[in-house]
Amino acid sequence: MKIEPFKEINPPDKNGYWTNKKTGETYGGTWISPLLIPNLRKVEKSFEKALKDKKFLKGLEEKLLTFIGINTPILYSKELTDIAGGEKKVGRIYLKRTDLHHDSSHKPVSSFSSCYMAKHIFKAKKIICETGASMHSRSVAAACSLLKMDCEVHIGAVDAEKVSLNKDISELYGAKIVVVQDSTKTLLPAMASALRSWQSNPDAMYVVGSVAGPSPYPRMVRTWASIIGRLAKKQFKQITGGVPSTLFAVCGGGSNLMSMAYPLLRDTTQIFAIESAGEGIETGRHGATILGGGKMGILLGFKSKVVMHSAQIAESLTEASGLDFAAVGPEVAYLHDIGRIKFRSTTDLEAKKTFLLCAEQLGIIPAIEACYVINAALKEIKKRKNPKENHLIHLCGSGESNVARMIKFKRENE
Amino acid sequence: MNKNFEKIFAKAKQEKRGCLIGFVTGMDPDYETSKKILIEMSKYCDAVEVGNPFNTSTSDSATIMDANMRAIKSGADTGKIFKLIKEVKSEIQNNIPFLIMGYMNPVYIYSIKKFAKSCKESMVDGCIIVDSDNNAPEDKEIFEELSKIDVAYIKLIGPTNDESYIKKTLKKCSSFCYVFSYAGLTGAKQVNLENVKKSAKLIRKNSKIPIGVGFGIRSRSDVSKVVQISDAAIVGSGIVEIIGNGVKNKISGLDLAINVGQYLKELREGLSKK
Repeated sequence: MKIEPFKEINPPDKNGYWTNKKTGETYGGTWISPLLIPNLRKVEKSFEKALKDKKFLKGLEEKLLTFIGINTPILYSKELTDIAGGEKKVGRIYLKRTDLHHDSSHKPVSSFSSCYMAKHIFKAKKIICETGASMHSRSVAAACSLLKMDCEVHIGAVDAEKVSLNKDISELYGAKIVVVQDSTKTLLPAMASALRSWQSNPDAMYVVGSVAGPSPYPRMVRTWASIIGRLAKKQFKQITGGVPSTLFAVCGGGSNLMSMAYPLLRDTTQIFAIESAGEGIETGRHGATILGGGKMGILLGFKSKVVMHSAQIAESLTEASGLDFAAVGPEVAYLHDIGRIKFRSTTDLEAKKTFLLCAEQLGIIPAIEACYVINAALKEIKKRKNPKENHLIHLCGSGESNVARMIKFKRENE
Repeated sequence: MNKNFEKIFAKAKQEKRGCLIGFVTGMDPDYETSKKILIEMSKYCDAVEVGNPFNTSTSDSATIMDANMRAIKSGADTGKIFKLIKEVKSEIQNNIPFLIMGYMNPVYIYSIKKFAKSCKESMVDGCIIVDSDNNAPEDKEIFEELSKIDVAYIKLIGPTNDESYIKKTLKKCSSFCYVFSYAGLTGAKQVNLENVKKSAKLIRKNSKIPIGVGFGIRSRSDVSKVVQISDAAIVGSGIVEIIGNGVKNKISGLDLAINVGQYLKELREGLSKK
């Protein structure tokens, strides 16, 4: 299946802000040291050029099709449909299998596209990136290996231990791993560390893993990532004859969500973003920004919804390293604010149980991140009770790196 | 220009020397020790810059990050930093300018109008926000609120910034502009004089505003080199390192302050213009 040309349907303004016209609230911007402004403008110019460069886009498409394997299937899951109540009661549940991409997650599409742009247009020799679950670093490191670029990965010390398989794979691809001991030792300080490193290496290009960071990153990452959604929309039409009634995708920073949601923003699809409720939102130990009381704040180059203690960025707590982020990207927060995206949450325990369910009943080992969305989708679909609906769940990654923790969980609960 | 800044630059010019501006994170390692350190600093500095700590800073070296975390652990927040500055300014004999420096989030959460009001109430003379977005309405609001009460809004310019950026930035910059001597993190490299000359040339072409230089200034010799081509040398990491090492070695607050004072006394000897 061919990749459709990109259409900008929700542009930020020239300064990188999305504005809620009713309230005047702004999301995004460039909240960063002046030293990085020229780098950011260079990234922005490269991105604009890339979108118009037919030779570049043709080369990128070929690599996405043949190296990343972007034509992953959409699977009708009779098993999940039955668990939700059966087709006659709730309609059909489909899974978009981006776990089947090269490097086993949705991340390689935006990571590879950014690296390919860095190589051919930005002309960088080195890539700097941050990572949480190491899905992003793994795919950036693979791209750097193929494209013959140096790769520097910043990872929080807690995540480095939690998802050591992906970290080790990144290292095997040739990445230099910087383990970050600051603050919460997770994704947020890893991103701050990567930005600091970029400030000292202006010739390198920074590749953000989420739809976060200073402008133009939120727009650029969602544009590359949404290649997934463009294909999925086409596939879904072929299978069902229409657009999904509902879309469910997990949301840490929001790249996963936006990869699927963006092409459907002007359609009738109801979009649900799922956050990690950790041990329960009421305990305060969670990874939920929108449902966990996030307020407007400014961090890591952007203005958006952020979970804070006083004015300090709060620690998020979740089993899923990929969701361990105390903010959501600015476009995501804006879309929530205007009511286009609704939020739901799943606890760590529910996600772990869903992991075992998928393994035992679907023959799939999903990334723990994907288990939050499957669980929340089942709850929502059961409530909707509409047999005419076709539901699409983004199964956004493979759970190989969660195996050690999950087998322990299974044995402890047998 | 803020009156206290005007005075120190005029005095330094008369004495044919540059100014020394010292930075520490406020409430590092705790409120009382920080107060002692700031009082001691006021004896040797022409202006004092007090950091408002933020746990997700994007431009600080490990030394300053550690200081931020020590301060946050000791209970620092924007309100307490203002209280600290107010107490110190009430106790010191001279009227040297005090700056509050930090990231946008604490200011935004505190509220911009309240921040400006607290600047006035706490006798703060200037404000630096490292990550403020030049194009944001919030940045314009801060500049306007501070201008109303004669508090300087000091902007940052680095070697990677071109003339059009500098021109735009200078429009919202008052009392002096802060020039990074290199592209990198606070205190991570040696001071780069060629970069400073390049930035200074572009600034002088567009404005007569005094220039303060920071990043990589650690010794008397660094200070001496920098003040030959600018109006002020800004020293941060060197001081914060003394505090960090003192905390590790469990040195008393009073001794920490004395050590900082001795270091600044030595740096001050490099201020003469040749």
